[in-house]
Amino acid sequence: MSAVRVWSKPARVVLVVAGVGLGACVLAFLGALFLHVAPANSVSKQYRAQVDWVVYPEFEQNWKLFAPDPLQRNVAVDARVQTVGPDGTVVTGEWRGLSAEDWAAIRHDPAPSHLDQNLLRRAWDFYESTHGEGDAQAAPGSRGQLAERYLERIALQRTGTGGGRVIQVQLRATVTAVAPPAWSREQVDTAPHVRELPWWPVQDADREGLS
Amino acid sequence: MTTPAAVRAALPRLLTTLAPYQAAVVRIGTAGTWGAYLLREWGNRRVLYGDRSPWSAELNDRLLADTHAFTALSWSDGRWWFEAVYLLALLSAGAVALGWRTRASTVLFALTVLSLQNRNVFLGDGGDNLVHLMAIYLVFTRCGAVWSLDARRRARRPGRDPAEWGEPRALADALAAMLHNCAMLVIAVQVVLVYATAGWYKVQGARWQDGTAVFYPLELDYFTPWPELSGLLGGSLLVTFALTYGTVAMQVGFPFSLAARRLKNVLLAVMVVEHLAIALLLGLPFFSLAMVSADAVFLPTALLLRLGGLLAVQGRAAGWWVARRSGRTGGAAAGEPVEAVAGGPVEAAGEPVGGADG
Repeated sequence: MSAVRVWSKPARVVLVVAGVGLGACVLAFLGALFLHVAPANSVSKQYRAQVDWVVYPEFEQNWKLFAPDPLQRNVAVDARVQTVGPDGTVVTGEWRGLSAEDWAAIRHDPAPSHLDQNLLRRAWDFYESTHGEGDAQAAPGSRGQLAERYLERIALQRTGTGGGRVIQVQLRATVTAVAPPAWSREQVDTAPHVRELPWWPVQDADREGLS
Repeated sequence: MTTPAAVRAALPRLLTTLAPYQAAVVRIGTAGTWGAYLLREWGNRRVLYGDRSPWSAELNDRLLADTHAFTALSWSDGRWWFEAVYLLALLSAGAVALGWRTRASTVLFALTVLSLQNRNVFLGDGGDNLVHLMAIYLVFTRCGAVWSLDARRRARRPGRDPAEWGEPRALADALAAMLHNCAMLVIAVQVVLVYATAGWYKVQGARWQDGTAVFYPLELDYFTPWPELSGLLGGSLLVTFALTYGTVAMQVGFPFSLAARRLKNVLLAVMVVEHLAIALLLGLPFFSLAMVSADAVFLPTALLLRLGGLLAVQGRAAGWWVARRSGRTGGAAAGEPVEAVAGGPVEAAGEPVGGADG
């Protein structure tokens, strides 16, 4: 490389100011990221607003995949629809295994699609995180309501209409704990637990764009 | 010991573009991963991010009103705007990977990554998260300084020697180099945060403590493309224990290993192997590719140069072979483009780093 350049005084001022400014920004940014991923502590509680301002919405950090413990349960989501035929008879369709279809699609695919691996799985996580154990309808305008509409539309898209006009849709989730390894002496209840959601009424507008 | 004189001697280095090869690998890896992902999802694009998504534009608008995340897809929910953005995302990923007009293409790349991912934030996993962050950080780097079409162009039409630059231009160049160095530092610390978070939270988990944690993901229906293989691996007590404790020790230890060059390189190699295994066993190739690409920021320059040289030689051999074959079948000199792409890095490697893009 060439000899070290000799800077004029104004240039030195610019360089020092830029260096200090950049350094301060980098430190503040990395500090905010650190406080965000660290367990809640005295400092992160004190500066929560500032940390959130930096991290959300574009610098989120989701690195707790498989931590503190890996997921140890399989959730199978099924859906069914109630349709009304041209003659006015109401028909309740069969349960359709939406997760089971995802799993079949993932089998022996070296690069599974987000459509099969993430879409329904994470939609259900979203629903659970906003509803807890209960299935009462979420308040209008809440995140919970968004989760309900999302799941409803996933179910409608996957189940089709069966020829009639869909008036209601219902989901259920079967949660099964993963049995401990064969070489472990641990006992775990692996009986499936079924969680049946209420029927949700369907308007034509709910189907928009799903074809 | 660090003396003031040593500090003063080190300062001018901060005004030059540091770690250009690492920046290039992160660029190629990140853009390549996202580009490959977009190609993989080509057939599903409208359901994932477009007009057929069950996460309708209206639902997303309601969420965005809350989060204020950026997505150009909220400007219009028509099909053709979406198709244009998706295509632009693919093209910009290709341009960034090849290092074509890197300054502009990294900006476009970041904007399209954000646009697609923020159209439905309930689709991504850790890999998407990492691509999202790296796409933003890369905007501030000079990641096209080497191993890029830009570098090739500069090498063919060399400008004036930097030593002869007037002060305004030299100053602009130094400022751009400082920004690059800061962004590279952020990328490095970001990778450390990924492993430190993953590791330290695992330490607290009962399954990681009792040595069975690795068994469970291998039994999840959403993460077992090869159940026979997963069953085989999880069937062994000793293997499961070793992988469980090894993973935690590695993730917790990695940040500290940065103080010991040899150890760091060993851990990096092990981490790359582990990510390849995750790619296959859990069906997460894009996640793993994104992680490996980010890890590459810590690869030693000597190794990168050797790999680059090796690739170039292979490229030349392939080019010669293709040329010979196509010559036999009467085609034109097909070897030229192959060599052009693969041979670029080495030619560019000798070039002074940092150029007219400050």
